[in-house]
Amino acid sequence: MNTNPDEVKLALWLDDELHGEELEAFEKWVADQPGHLAAREESREWRKMMNAALPASEEPPYPDFFNSRLAKAIHELNATPAGKSAPAFSWRSWLMPVTACAGMVAAFWMGGTLKQPPPTPMVITPVSEKKPLVYLPEKGVAADWFRSEEASATVIVLQGVSAIPDSTDFFSTAYIPMQGDKDRTASNRENEDPKSVRQ
Amino acid sequence: MNRSHMLTALLVMALTPATLLAQKDSGRVVIGRVCVTVYHATNGDPAVAGGQAAAVGKDMEERFRNEERLRFRHYRVLGTDTQPLFRSYENWAKPLKQSDEVLVRFEARGASTKDSMRMDLELWLGRKKILKTDALLQGDRPLHILGPEWRGGRLIISVARAHKTNP
Repeated sequence: MNTNPDEVKLALWLDDELHGEELEAFEKWVADQPGHLAAREESREWRKMMNAALPASEEPPYPDFFNSRLAKAIHELNATPAGKSAPAFSWRSWLMPVTACAGMVAAFWMGGTLKQPPPTPMVITPVSEKKPLVYLPEKGVAADWFRSEEASATVIVLQGVSAIPDSTDFFSTAYIPMQGDKDRTASNRENEDPKSVRQ
Repeated sequence: MNRSHMLTALLVMALTPATLLAQKDSGRVVIGRVCVTVYHATNGDPAVAGGQAAAVGKDMEERFRNEERLRFRHYRVLGTDTQPLFRSYENWAKPLKQSDEVLVRFEARGASTKDSMRMDLELWLGRKKILKTDALLQGDRPLHILGPEWRGGRLIISVARAHKTNP
């Protein structure tokens, strides 16, 4: 038979919370337990010290504020009763996505039907031709830039560029547009008949 | 996240790519057209340029001859290419079709007007970048680049604002 008291009774006894027959029975058992007796004395000393240091009760700081917050929390708790929950599929649950979808469809429709306003004309300041920056990555290549009034052109004369071998034949690659040729810029090539391209 | 929020998020996710595609790419707006022409200028026999090489218009030939450093006896057109100048994207002109020997890369630099366009321009010869510059093409003034030698003459790469008729 196990005569040892349980942990709960031991904790109550240490706090002087055991009473009546339980206390008598426990005192009989603990009489030959010097360790427990010492622990209870230590616990009593500690409680005395704490009671001397701390007041028995203390008002919370800013009690009016504390009470108003407490009253507000109670009011909100009563306003939304806990046991009531929204049905899984109510018209409200579908309202937001349907409205969003309708809005996007309307935006697409308006974007497709409304013409874009013409781009605002940019303010152009007169440009003056200064000597441009000329970068020549190849070693040994030099460039001379000048405005030629005689040729009505800007001219860059390159020096030191490797000659194209005479064996290079541009005969088969030359393309000279003739009168009547269609506009062959990139934006217009999609509609071009491939058979009509001269190469 | 409740059910309605989830449905909304799914709809937005499904329609967002379509929205992006529906928007126009303003960078592809054509703000001008660039014509690149390769001439063969020589004091020798112009026939070496080949049978398909065309004669140059009298006006352009005269303008070439007026400039001492571009003065040759004969001029022939080897090829020409006209490409749009996009607002934000680069573009390439390949005047010698089926040949990468001469390429011109250009990209708008600032606003283009009715009479002028400024661009970054690169000349590539034999797949090597030879020249990079910022060119201003004003009015009817092209940029002539006196380039490499070929068959006893020189190539002149001419970059101009595009006209309805090429030389």
